[in-house]
Amino acid sequence: MVAVPRPAGRSRPTLLLLVAAALTLLTLHFRGAEPLSAFQQGIRDVLDPVRSASERVARPVQSAWHGLFDYDDLRAENERLADELARMRGRRLTGEADKELLERLLGEVDIDYTTLETVVVRILGTPPGNFSSYSLEVDKGQDDGLEEGMAVVTGAGLVGRLEVVDRSRSIVRLATHPEFRMGVRLVGSQDEGLARGGGATGRLVIDAGIRLDAVVKAGEVVVTSGGRSRFPADIPVGRVSDPDDDAEFDRQIIVDPEASLENLSFLNVVLDPVRFDIEPSRRR
Amino acid sequence: MTHRFRVLALLLTATVAQVTVFDEVRVAGASVEYLLLVSVLAGYHGGPERGAVVAFFAGLLHDAVTVTPMGLHALVYPSLAVATSHLEVRLARFTRPFLGSGLAIAIAGGVLAAAAVGSLFGLRELGDPGLLRTTVVVVVMTVAVAPPTSRAVRWAVTGGLPVDVDLRGQGAEGGG
Repeated sequence: MVAVPRPAGRSRPTLLLLVAAALTLLTLHFRGAEPLSAFQQGIRDVLDPVRSASERVARPVQSAWHGLFDYDDLRAENERLADELARMRGRRLTGEADKELLERLLGEVDIDYTTLETVVVRILGTPPGNFSSYSLEVDKGQDDGLEEGMAVVTGAGLVGRLEVVDRSRSIVRLATHPEFRMGVRLVGSQDEGLARGGGATGRLVIDAGIRLDAVVKAGEVVVTSGGRSRFPADIPVGRVSDPDDDAEFDRQIIVDPEASLENLSFLNVVLDPVRFDIEPSRRR
Repeated sequence: MTHRFRVLALLLTATVAQVTVFDEVRVAGASVEYLLLVSVLAGYHGGPERGAVVAFFAGLLHDAVTVTPMGLHALVYPSLAVATSHLEVRLARFTRPFLGSGLAIAIAGGVLAAAAVGSLFGLRELGDPGLLRTTVVVVVMTVAVAPPTSRAVRWAVTGGLPVDVDLRGQGAEGGG
């Protein structure tokens, strides 16, 4: 038996209609249509208990799987951590000197990074789907006082910002995401510029705002600039690895992020102090 | 149960499966694109028009649960369903391995098309060296779960209503 050709004519108007509807939705999405976001968030919130249950069920299975098939990796990781501990002990004095230098540099500009009010969040993993490069899912959301745009940090500095905040989960866009933008300040030269994520390089690039003749040294500390930025000022971002001194037109300063996500389980979300001064009742 | 309820049940079940079972099973960071699979199979079993409508709603649900801009997957999936449907007419007499290959190509096309549209909105770099690897892993994992899904999609999109094709070859019957 063979298939009978189907009437294709009727499908074309349907397809055009659906494509037009999708394009309209995309346009509305990028214009910030509130009902669309509410619809998306509503679906995710409805599915959240199912996802949590699924994660609870899967966790022992995943642990058993890793124990069975990733034993070599675990052993290598254990050895790596032992080596790192030995190195850390050996470099303690150097580390203290570096810390002093950082504190001195930060102290010059009255940086008060460590006193920022934060909420500790646990990393759940990558968000659903295969579009989650440079993103992480964490276990707290609106119910814990989090809002979109809040800075996410570790003890070493900025990691990213909250991109999507649902009731009990949030998605963090990492600072290395190619679409990530933030205002930064070079602590040594006091120049301010705009940094973007470097994508697969894992670095940040300051590609706007820094004068071509500004003296920038390799190793110089970079912090958030504050001001009109949504991030609080003076959160450590990283250190300059390539000041691009030879640039004649477009200067691109490469920054190595200080905060590493390797082997991290928890992050801190910086609460907006202004908002919490106004609405202390929402604080948890 | 009417046709619409069957499709609704299919889409809701597929969405729950996407964010639970298939999200937990990741290989090299990639997971099954279950709603994409449902869209392709809806085009295969249900014909271009019905397939496109099912694929559109599958895309909307995908956009909701994966936090992509609303309409991104809904833009890609219907075209894919229609293309699959037209190809299905030509591939009706081919064998299961051949249809499996066709499904793999359709899934790869869907992943890459979504990535291409997503790159316009800064979701993913097309030059990302991990994209090809992700696509290959997604295709393998998604095709692996296609046989049972194919039966469920056929039950949902053809049940209770007259279908566009009432005669099918043996290869197409068991395909997917």
